[in-house]
Amino acid sequence: MAELLAGLGTSHVPSIAAALDKGLRNSVEWKPFFDGYIPAQDWIAQRKPDIAVVIYNDHGNSFFLDRVPTLALGVSDIYRPADEGWGPRPVPDFQGADAFAWHLADRMVEGHFDPLICRELDVDHGLQVPMELTFGRPDAWPVKVVPILINTIQYPIPTPQRMWDLGRLLRRAIESYPTDEKVLVMGTGGLSHQLQGARAGFINPTADREWIARIGSNPERYRTMSREDYVEEFGSEGAELIMWLVMRGCMDDTVTTLFDHYFAPASMTGAGMVLLENTR
Amino acid sequence: MTDPDRIPDTPLFDRPRSNSGYALNKMAMGLSTPDGRAAFIADEDAYLDRYALTPAQRAAVKTRDWAEMVRLGGNLFYILKISAVDPTPIREIGAAQAGMGLQEFLDTRLGKVTNG
Repeated sequence: MAELLAGLGTSHVPSIAAALDKGLRNSVEWKPFFDGYIPAQDWIAQRKPDIAVVIYNDHGNSFFLDRVPTLALGVSDIYRPADEGWGPRPVPDFQGADAFAWHLADRMVEGHFDPLICRELDVDHGLQVPMELTFGRPDAWPVKVVPILINTIQYPIPTPQRMWDLGRLLRRAIESYPTDEKVLVMGTGGLSHQLQGARAGFINPTADREWIARIGSNPERYRTMSREDYVEEFGSEGAELIMWLVMRGCMDDTVTTLFDHYFAPASMTGAGMVLLENTR
Repeated sequence: MTDPDRIPDTPLFDRPRSNSGYALNKMAMGLSTPDGRAAFIADEDAYLDRYALTPAQRAAVKTRDWAEMVRLGGNLFYILKISAVDPTPIREIGAAQAGMGLQEFLDTRLGKVTNG
């Protein structure tokens, strides 16, 4: 059966992509941010995952407000970079793990999660940036991807508990897939930031650091917090952090935090990562 | 979410805002294609005529009044596409909404640099 290799929580800030595109990887402003990902990149590269399940939100690029799926699942064998207003970014197309994605669709619906199933889907920075932070900028991505998209823009957004439960289901789906492939699960978004209203520019490094420290060892509080609590503590767009709970929910109760990193501000956002492994 | 404005100065994108901002956001979404961007750049008024903006929304777009666009139902993820045809850094858009100059915004909102 397929194996859950590890869970990665990471930011997907678009300014990270812009910094890479402008050749600012090693600039004074950005080098400490990117360097903090190196240990996790090395660990993942050594273990050679086959599939990355990327949980993220579309940012008004593939879905408009005419139809807003609370939960969507990509089942394509190819995903191209979206045009976010500046033209598609120069990153390779993403090969989709379509057979695994259809298996996941079956398990989701049987488990009473009912996604919009997407056969054609352009993917925005929400998927691109975590892939670049994990695998750099290769000529071809070393893993196939499965996009899982969560609405975090138009209210009502799903609850933190629902994200956790989706993670539980994802775990069962991975471990019932009859191949020996290794799956990396990425929960993305955050950390604290707010782009809208007079409170724009709100960041909360104290809460972010606590999140990084506790999402592995003691996530209970984050599962039971309300959506309003997320907005208050992490900012209106910081509520994206609920998507890390899908990743955390698919891990064992007891995990080892292999690596973590925090940096603020990346543009207007607290940014960072954790890499979690089930304690063996 | 029964009270989306419980958190001060934080306009959550709920049903009233999604309704009032729909045409504004749809106009901005049109800028996600090369044709839309070319049309906007060639003749902004003619491009805006395609969408049922209110006079206040239209004025906010024309003056690049980001705070007003958000107040009138614009959502940053859509209206940000205006900054792709008329380049405006995201931090300046943030500062404008906070009612601050850029340097004050960077110092007071984002200034607690805690890298590491």
